[in-house]
Amino acid sequence: MASQTVRLPLSLLARLSVRNLIRNARRTVLLLASVAVAVASVLVTASLIRGFQDDLADAVVVNLTGHLQVQAPGYRDDPGIDHRFELEAGWQRALDGLPVAGWASRIRVPAVIMSERETRGMTLVGVDAQAETISFLASASYRGEPLVDVNDRRVIIGEALADSLKTDVGRRLVLMAQGPDGRSREAGFRIAGVYDADGTALEKNFVFTGRTRLHELLETDAITELSVRLDDSGQLPAANAALASVFQQQRVFTWQELEPQAAAMYAYADLGIFIWFAIMMAALIFGLINTLVTAVMERVRELGMLRAVGMRAAAVVSQVVIESAVVMCLGVVLGVLIASLLLNFWLVDGIDLSQWAQGAEMVGMRSHLQPKVMLSDTVFISVLSVVVGVVASLYPARQAVRRSPLEALRAD
Amino acid sequence: MKSVIDCRGVSRTYADDGVPVRALQGVDFQVAPGEFVSLAGPSGSGKTTLLNIIGALDKADEGLVFLDGVDLAPLSASELSDLRLHRIGFVFQSYNLIPVLSARENVEFIMQLQGVAPRERAERAHDVLARLGLADMADRRPGELSGGQQQRVAIARAIVTNPSVLLADEPSANLDSATTEELLNLLRRLNEDQGVTIVTATHDPLVMSYARRRVQLKDGAIVHDESV
Repeated sequence: MASQTVRLPLSLLARLSVRNLIRNARRTVLLLASVAVAVASVLVTASLIRGFQDDLADAVVVNLTGHLQVQAPGYRDDPGIDHRFELEAGWQRALDGLPVAGWASRIRVPAVIMSERETRGMTLVGVDAQAETISFLASASYRGEPLVDVNDRRVIIGEALADSLKTDVGRRLVLMAQGPDGRSREAGFRIAGVYDADGTALEKNFVFTGRTRLHELLETDAITELSVRLDDSGQLPAANAALASVFQQQRVFTWQELEPQAAAMYAYADLGIFIWFAIMMAALIFGLINTLVTAVMERVRELGMLRAVGMRAAAVVSQVVIESAVVMCLGVVLGVLIASLLLNFWLVDGIDLSQWAQGAEMVGMRSHLQPKVMLSDTVFISVLSVVVGVVASLYPARQAVRRSPLEALRAD
Repeated sequence: MKSVIDCRGVSRTYADDGVPVRALQGVDFQVAPGEFVSLAGPSGSGKTTLLNIIGALDKADEGLVFLDGVDLAPLSASELSDLRLHRIGFVFQSYNLIPVLSARENVEFIMQLQGVAPRERAERAHDVLARLGLADMADRRPGELSGGQQQRVAIARAIVTNPSVLLADEPSANLDSATTEELLNLLRRLNEDQGVTIVTATHDPLVMSYARRRVQLKDGAIVHDESV
C-alpha cells in the first residue's frame, strides 16, 4: 500500500503552487515587484562597488606598484641601494602563457633634491620610459616633455614638487644619492617635464630619470624592483607563483601586500555588497513571510482537505516552499532585467563625481565612477536570493501543517 | 464475512473550554463490505466523531479500530495518510474541492498522489466523470459548477481510486432536496451496482431513508441499529 504512494508529486505540487499564485494575482505581483526591486538594487549597488574596487586597484597598480613586484629581501623595510638585485637573462619565460600587460624594472633610491631656492628629500627613480606603459607615467599629462627612453639623462618632477622647489621646465636641479659603496654622489639634471598626477603623493615625492643615467650616477647595474602588470587580475596567484619560482632569492609581493590600506578598503567594499544584500533581504523576508503566512491561513481548510485525503505533510510543506521558490525565481529574473536596464541605459556613462572629487580621491576613487557588472556577482546574488526565499518560506510552510487535518477542516 | 470497518469499545473524550466532553463511549460498530450505512443522531451524539475515527482523521482514546483488518492505533501520521489515500474515499459537507484545479484535475490528483500513470489517470477520471454525468464539465473549475455538481465531483474524486469504504459527512448539508435526491440515487447506484461500501453521518431523514442500515447514536453510544 504505502510503497505505491508518491511522496512528493512534484508536477502536481508545481501546478498547485503556480495556480495558487495566479489565484491572488495582485498580491503575487506586489511580491514579485518587491523581490525584483530588492534584487535590482543589490545588483546595481554591487556593480557600483565593483567599479569603485576597479578604480581603487587601478589607482594602486598604475602608481608604480603593478599587480606584482619583485624586490630584494629587506628592501621593503629599508628601501635603498643596499637591497638591490640583478635580472637574470631569460627570466621572462616564467610569464609565458600568462596575461601580462607589461613589466618594468626600476632602481628607486632615497635622494636629496636641490633647486636654486630649496632643498628637500624625495625618492629618485630610474626608469625605462618605454617600459612604463604599465604605470601612470604613460598616461599622466605633462608640461614640457615626458622622458623618452632608458638613456634619457633629464628628469621629470611632479607639479607639487615643482611648486615646492619654485622651479619649472628647462631649469636645472642637483640630485644627491648614496651609491652601493656608501659614498654620496651628486649630479646636475635638467627638468624635461612636470607631470600632473592628480595631486597625489607621487607629485610631491617622486622624481624620475632614465635608468641608465641613474646607474651611471650610482655606479651599479642593479635594480631595486621589477614591476609586472597583468591584463587579468584573476591570474594574479598564477603569476605570483611563476615569478616566485624564478626569483627564488628575492621576494615577490602582490599589490595587496605592498598597499595594505588599499587592499583593506578593497575587502571592505566586498563586505559592503554583502551588508547591502543582507539589509535588502532582511526587509524582503519580512514581507515574504507575511504574505506566505496570509496565503496559508486563507487556505487552511483546503490544505487540511489535501492532508485528509492522503497528501503527506511533507508534500504540503513542499507546495508552500515551491510557491516561494517560484516567486523568488521570477522576481530574481525581473530584478536582473531591471538592473540590466538601469546599468545599460541610465548608468551606461557612469556617475560623475567631480563635485566631490577631493573626497572621492581620499578613498581611492576617481572623479568618475563606472559601474562594473560581474557575472559571478549576478549569479551569486540571484542564487542566494532564491535560497534565502526558500529558507524563509519554511516558517509559513510549517504553519500549513501545524494543525491536524481534522482541525484544519474545521477551521473557519 | 470479514468486516471492512471494525470498531471495538471505542471511546473518545474532547476538552471543550477545559471541560471534558465524552463524545463516544465504548462503541462497538462493524460494517461489512457492500453495506450502505447511515449514522444518525442529534448534534453532539458522536456520529461525526465516529466517522472521523473510522476515517483515520482522529484517534480513539480507548478501544480498537480496524480498517480492512488493519489496526489503526499503531500507525504513524504518514502511514495513516497512506491508508486514507489508498483505502478511504471522503465526501465532505462543503465539497472541499481544490478551487484552482478543474473537475477532471480534482478527480485525477488523488491518483497522482497514488502514483498512477498519467494515461491511466486520464482514462479513469474520464470514466468516472462520465458515469456521474459530468463529462461535459470536466474542464470547469469548482467555482463554475453548481453545489450539486461540485458534490458529484467530490464523489467522483472519492470513488475513482476504488476505496474500501466511502465516508460521507453530511453530504446533503449544502444541497436542495432535488439535488440531494439526485445525489442519493447516485450513491445507491454505486452501492448496489458496484458494491461500494458507504457510511454517512447525517441529520437528514432523506439521506437515512436511502441507507439499508440505520445506526442511531445518542450521547456517544449506539442506541439503535437496524437493517432495512
